[in-house]
Amino acid sequence: MLRTALKGVIAHKVRLGLTSLAIVLGVAFVAGTFVFTDTINARFTTLFDDVYAGIDASIRPEQPEFGSAPGTIQGSLPEALLEAVASTEGVQAAAGSVGGFAQIIDAAGEPVGGQGPPTIGGSWIDEPALSALRITDGNGRAPSGAGEVVIDVGTAEAEGFELGDDVRIQTALGTETFEVVGLANFGTESNLAGATMSIFTIDEAQRLFGLEDSFTSIDVVAADGVSAEELVERLTAVAPQDTEVVTGDQQTQEQLDGFTEGLGFLTTALLAFAGVAVLVGAYVIQNTFRIVVAQRTRELALLRAVGATARQVTTLVALEAAIVGFVSSAIGVVSGIGVAAGIKAAMNAGGFGVPDGPLTVEPRTIIAGMTVGMVVTMASALLPARKASRVPPVAAMTETQAPTSPRSLRKRTISGVAVTALGAALLVTGLTLENGATAAVVGAGSFTVFVGISILAPVFAIPIGRLLGRPLPGITGELARENTVRQPRRTASTAAALMIGIALVSFVSIFAASIRASVTDTLEQSFPADLAFSSTNFLEGVSPTVESELEGLEEIATVSAVRTDFIRIDGQELNVGIVAADVERMYDLRPTTEIAEIGEGMLIQRDVLAERGWTVGDVIDVEYPAVGLMPTTIVGTFEDQTFGNYIVGTEAHGDDFFGDAATIVFARLADGVSLDEGIEATQPVLAAFPNIDMNTKADQIAEAEAQVNQMVALFSGLLGLAVIIAVLGIANTLALSIVERTREIGLLRAVGMSRRQVRRMIRAEAVIVAIFGAILGVGVGIGLGWATVSSLADDGLSSFALPAGQLGLWLALAALAGVIAAAGPARKAAKMNVLSAISYE
Amino acid sequence: MTLAPPRTDVAASILDGVKVYGAGDATVRALDGVTFEFPRGQFTAIMGPSGSGKSTMLHTLAGLDTLTSGRVEIGGVDLGSLNDRELTMLRRDNVGFVFQAFNLVPTLTARENIVLPLSIAGTKPDEQWLQQVVKTVGLADRLSHRPSELSGGQQQRVAAARALVSQPEIIFADEPSGNLDSRSGAELLGFMRRAVKGLGQTIVMVTHDPVAAGYADGVVFLADGRIVDGLDDPTPESVLERMKTLGG
Repeated sequence: MLRTALKGVIAHKVRLGLTSLAIVLGVAFVAGTFVFTDTINARFTTLFDDVYAGIDASIRPEQPEFGSAPGTIQGSLPEALLEAVASTEGVQAAAGSVGGFAQIIDAAGEPVGGQGPPTIGGSWIDEPALSALRITDGNGRAPSGAGEVVIDVGTAEAEGFELGDDVRIQTALGTETFEVVGLANFGTESNLAGATMSIFTIDEAQRLFGLEDSFTSIDVVAADGVSAEELVERLTAVAPQDTEVVTGDQQTQEQLDGFTEGLGFLTTALLAFAGVAVLVGAYVIQNTFRIVVAQRTRELALLRAVGATARQVTTLVALEAAIVGFVSSAIGVVSGIGVAAGIKAAMNAGGFGVPDGPLTVEPRTIIAGMTVGMVVTMASALLPARKASRVPPVAAMTETQAPTSPRSLRKRTISGVAVTALGAALLVTGLTLENGATAAVVGAGSFTVFVGISILAPVFAIPIGRLLGRPLPGITGELARENTVRQPRRTASTAAALMIGIALVSFVSIFAASIRASVTDTLEQSFPADLAFSSTNFLEGVSPTVESELEGLEEIATVSAVRTDFIRIDGQELNVGIVAADVERMYDLRPTTEIAEIGEGMLIQRDVLAERGWTVGDVIDVEYPAVGLMPTTIVGTFEDQTFGNYIVGTEAHGDDFFGDAATIVFARLADGVSLDEGIEATQPVLAAFPNIDMNTKADQIAEAEAQVNQMVALFSGLLGLAVIIAVLGIANTLALSIVERTREIGLLRAVGMSRRQVRRMIRAEAVIVAIFGAILGVGVGIGLGWATVSSLADDGLSSFALPAGQLGLWLALAALAGVIAAAGPARKAAKMNVLSAISYE
Repeated sequence: MTLAPPRTDVAASILDGVKVYGAGDATVRALDGVTFEFPRGQFTAIMGPSGSGKSTMLHTLAGLDTLTSGRVEIGGVDLGSLNDRELTMLRRDNVGFVFQAFNLVPTLTARENIVLPLSIAGTKPDEQWLQQVVKTVGLADRLSHRPSELSGGQQQRVAAARALVSQPEIIFADEPSGNLDSRSGAELLGFMRRAVKGLGQTIVMVTHDPVAAGYADGVVFLADGRIVDGLDDPTPESVLERMKTLGG
């Protein structure tokens, strides 16, 4: 049986090869995701192990449990503590250090980095055991005085800085010029994952980071024979309140956790795309096997006639699927390593430096990739295999023709509607869920909707196919139209594969357009301020210096800073906006109580208040990062959700959070000052802060749109993979259908159809199928989009927008995809030898 | 180019036609120097045992296959001088076909199948002629049916009507009644004969059935790629007699 199966695979190698490409792509994505995340984990574990290798323990200010950016130390330690630590028994060496925000400015005056990896500032530590920074021979020396800096080799190379160069570095104080006196490696790496590093003397760092006479951390090496645990115990005895003592290993773990958390989203997204690719691949496989089985009816019947049981025939087809699944999954896993290398290269190009080193291929990756590929192939071939077993032996002797009359579609309609409804119900349930299962339920709901619509698709295939084919001229158009409807199931499942990709792309378009519309609406309504200042640095906001300098300008009447941070209510981490009283003249949150009146209380977004079942006047327990639990009175509600669903006043609560950089600073111009004059006046302030973006209202809207467009481009690109697989599917189905219709095409050629007309006919057929799939896709996409947008109305997505132009573009692209898919099969059909086609069996 | 044929009394001809398949030891001379002229307005049958080259002769005459050497003309046009596109147009406009099986496009109705060559050419059928053809084949009430809803005999008559509808120079039929029961076969062959006598068509038919050959005006006998005999005004009995003497 295995031998027969192998021969079957070899006989259909081209067809099955195309099919296996669908598996290969899906599996490659799955394996690539695992390889990539494993590699990142392995590389960064090594890296942070190196960083903290010499450190046995560190004392640092007690860190808040939530709210702070990972890897950033909040608060400070008194300088005097170092002496007490150094004289503790079991301490061999101890050094204090400070860290903070410092961003290098390149030769063109633009800030370096800041869109992803951190821009780190720190102090030089002389004790080599306590620092991972190494300056090799010829790379200069450690900083020894004010105005000197050491930067990392990687950044220096990327930005063209050399020893002795002057470099401008921006801190919270503004921008100052330093001389590069040394270039440091980070352990053995030239760079820490794309982070830029500016290292000053301890005095200079303390001044720059506003930490005079303090440290952010004291790192300790244990004396011989003293374990890290013992050391932590002894240090805890001398450490003052509000500080904590942690081991080097713990810090490694904390840093890794930060990375893993950040990568978690990426992993989920990549796996979701892999899932889509696999799902589309499943359709293609199922279709191919169904057609291959149909074409081999006589061969299978012959097997039955010479004594094979129905079960053996099923086994034969299943074995063929297993062979195809195994081979393509194996290729997929290997390609996945390439995919991982590609993602790594893309991230490196995007400024996120993944440390050099081999890619990590865990056995888990191979098992997962092979399992996914095999299971999907086998499951997809299951129905065709069962169908194969029902071929009666007598079919070996009878003339077979491509069937023309479809069976009743009534049962199908009922089950299709039922499954679609179930999917829609799941989707809506998922979208309204409050807890973490949301994504899974929404995903399952969308999947079920796809399945339901695919079940229904053959019902639509006939009317829609006829309708789409109507405008096609001539006999070629008519034949194409009739060919698409003669086997509605085949047409539908071919189209369904395309539907999934197009549905998701349409969904992204609609979602993005809705965000865009909502943001524009919000900004139009809520933004009476003239100018807004925000930071291009991901991890650092607008320095208070900017705020105070702007206030000093006579062209500017009012300045108001908004900060955003986290609070916890009932253990749940929530975004909070911290606003000053005069924000009302800048940004309209549409509160029921004036901001100036909220005092120590809190405003809660209207809908959130209702959902939570609170009323104005209630006192709730709120946890603030810096001070912990405090009962807070709800004094009113508001509408606009730009800064979160909770608002507290800067005056009363500003100190309950760490950090003083603002998320956004608004300014209103003084009377009689024109916008241009105002912009002009702020230039000297901004000159010292290259990473601050100044926006007018129009800029703000344009920027929001640009961000959304970027998102659309990224997602569409990734989903394009699914569309490509679907196009392969169309090409595959078409090629197989043409084989089935060899005699028919021969006949058409014999009675005078030209090669060009044959090509036109096949192309028209592909275009009808593609547009059919795209129409289903856009329809499902609109449904998904509408469901999602309306369920997110509470979260600030106020308008549902239908980007007709873009959806039209997807339809047009689908038609083009049809033309591309048809190219090969059409050429093959046109090239057929008339005589052998007529006598083909 | 124009394929308007000069009106002679010869519809098609083959001159010293040789067709060789394969190479080396496996070489088969399917046609070995065949020369014949098919008179206009006549129903000619080509007969011969399996492997005699009768199908090859039909295919090369119809422009579906090319000769290794020799010359084929339809309506005075040398097929060897035509490229694929011109051959296709010749088939579309000047040649009609009736095959043994699988004659119809399953997705088209009977009427659409009949007018297929005209549709391919993008021209409208001459309604009057179409009505006459349809009436002659007795399909007036079956026009909107699809092939799967027609009997084998009806299907072949639709194919014959299709061959007639463009009023071609010549119609080639390859065992047209081979798959039919004797009654349906007789109906079809009778119709073909009427098309020749009543409508002035020229038909060349390959068959191995003496009864079918009996409907023709003349029979050509082939053996081993050569014309070995001929017979005018055949009857099934005379054909059978001649086949016996040829040792077929």
